[in-house]
Amino acid sequence: MNAPPSWEDIERWYHEALELPVGERKAFLARASPALREEVASLLEADSTEELLAAPPTHIAADLLDGQPGGLAAGQRVADYEVESLISIGGMGEVYLARDTSHEDRPVALKILRRHLIVNALAVDRFEREARAASALCHPNIVTVYESGKSPAGLFIAMEWLDGSTFRAIMDMGRIEIPQAMDWGAQAARALSAAHTAGIMHRDMKPENIMLSKDGVVKILDFGLARHDGVVVAEPSSIGASGTISGTLSGTLLYMPPEILRGETATGASDVFSLGAFLYELTSGQHPFAGETPLDVFEAIECRPVAAIGTLRNGVPEEVDRLILRMLDRYPGGRPSASEVCDVLERARNT
Amino acid sequence: MICGRCTSLATNVTDLSRTVCILDRNVSENNPRGEVTLLLAAWSKGDQSALQKMMPLVYAELHRIARRAWSQQPHNNTLQPTALINEAYLKLANAENATFQDRCHFFAVACKAMRQILVNHAKSHLSGKRGGGLAKVSLDEVQPAVHQEAAEIVALHEALDALHAVDPRKSMVVEMRYFGGLSIEETAEAMGTSVATVNRDWRLARSWLIREMTRQMNRESS
Repeated sequence: MNAPPSWEDIERWYHEALELPVGERKAFLARASPALREEVASLLEADSTEELLAAPPTHIAADLLDGQPGGLAAGQRVADYEVESLISIGGMGEVYLARDTSHEDRPVALKILRRHLIVNALAVDRFEREARAASALCHPNIVTVYESGKSPAGLFIAMEWLDGSTFRAIMDMGRIEIPQAMDWGAQAARALSAAHTAGIMHRDMKPENIMLSKDGVVKILDFGLARHDGVVVAEPSSIGASGTISGTLSGTLLYMPPEILRGETATGASDVFSLGAFLYELTSGQHPFAGETPLDVFEAIECRPVAAIGTLRNGVPEEVDRLILRMLDRYPGGRPSASEVCDVLERARNT
Repeated sequence: MICGRCTSLATNVTDLSRTVCILDRNVSENNPRGEVTLLLAAWSKGDQSALQKMMPLVYAELHRIARRAWSQQPHNNTLQPTALINEAYLKLANAENATFQDRCHFFAVACKAMRQILVNHAKSHLSGKRGGGLAKVSLDEVQPAVHQEAAEIVALHEALDALHAVDPRKSMVVEMRYFGGLSIEETAEAMGTSVATVNRDWRLARSWLIREMTRQMNRESS
């Protein structure tokens, strides 16, 4: 029976593992005792969680003293927008339904990084990146950004108001008809192709960031991690100065391509991989890299063979099956481009 | 060197709310400046009861400053906890005669008080005692998000008590960074330690707390 690992050992192994690229950590931890390994692995897993402890709850402190715990009140103006109601709130900002008074009161999604959060460099960086990337893109399958700017309430982005659900919610509701899945997949690929043509990578493609509007249009949102080609040559360390995770590791592990796990630079092919994982899930109902623990998921992404969708479900055209497996090729060079994905899906749907 | 007195700060802040409602009424009328300076001095000489007496004074002062700041400039001013703490310090401690150690101690107490303000608020939100302020928000669907944040604050508060038992210095870094809203650099200065140490402490403490909070949430949901 081994003694439980000491806090000092945990601390030392944890920091040493953090110095390594994600893909090398498992091999490094294999040298530790089982108890120590489990302890450090679970801490590393927690380290990549972005949602908790992302920013001090200064907005709450301020809100509670302000007497407005929900943020901006209905009727309050931010530039030309009149706030109607709060949709979501979190450490990375708030989203409101608002009316654009300069455009006949059309509804907009108003994303606000309020003044209390402007000290959070990570949040500001994400916010500005999203504003820049999305406003450089004009495509029916990408959420339209009308305007971004500064107001006394904080930084804001006014976006097209989408009435619909995310694909996470849609997939949770049950099995999706294959022709339907191919149509949605083609729309998402078309959006990605347009972004890549404009030199913008999304870097965080996942069902939570893809929406279906009530009139059946697929829309890609959240360009908060997007980068322009060429601006970043090599990824800096994934650890920001604030001690929070930034850069490549911010995306969701399940949709992360192997080259990102190895610490390499994201390319358009990385987005194609993430889209492939989503399409696999959409058509087969199963995630290609599902695992019990993050380390299992790492391992699955790096080396577990992906079963053809035909082995899980009937009715998927062979060329689509092959296409999705190619999108999940471990080598970026082996993956099709987003526009090819779109072409194949459209062709298959029409035959 | 880490200031021993700061890290030995006990986490027994939970009984504060009782005292505070009495003090909330009184403090603004009296001038507690001299008293806090004396208490800081007594505490730095090892008198634990001085902390108990000082906390409610600091707590009430933070409340008071914040309320005034927001009523005067509700829309144009950035109100940061750090700024509040600084102002409370200038207000309460005799800054001219105060030593660097006093300031470090004061920040420790003030971050603890900020923690208490947030935790009290979150708890009362969760138990539904409050909610008057929420009436200003029009949609019911906002509630879950606000509710979740409140739950997270309480969960963090509890996990932080557990971390204190394992590594008091790291729990203090979190208290300053998260509840006090101090930057890495400000935390290092207030704790009299290096930026590198605070960075490392913060990173591990954050992971540790997230893990504990996640485990706790899983236990509660199952």
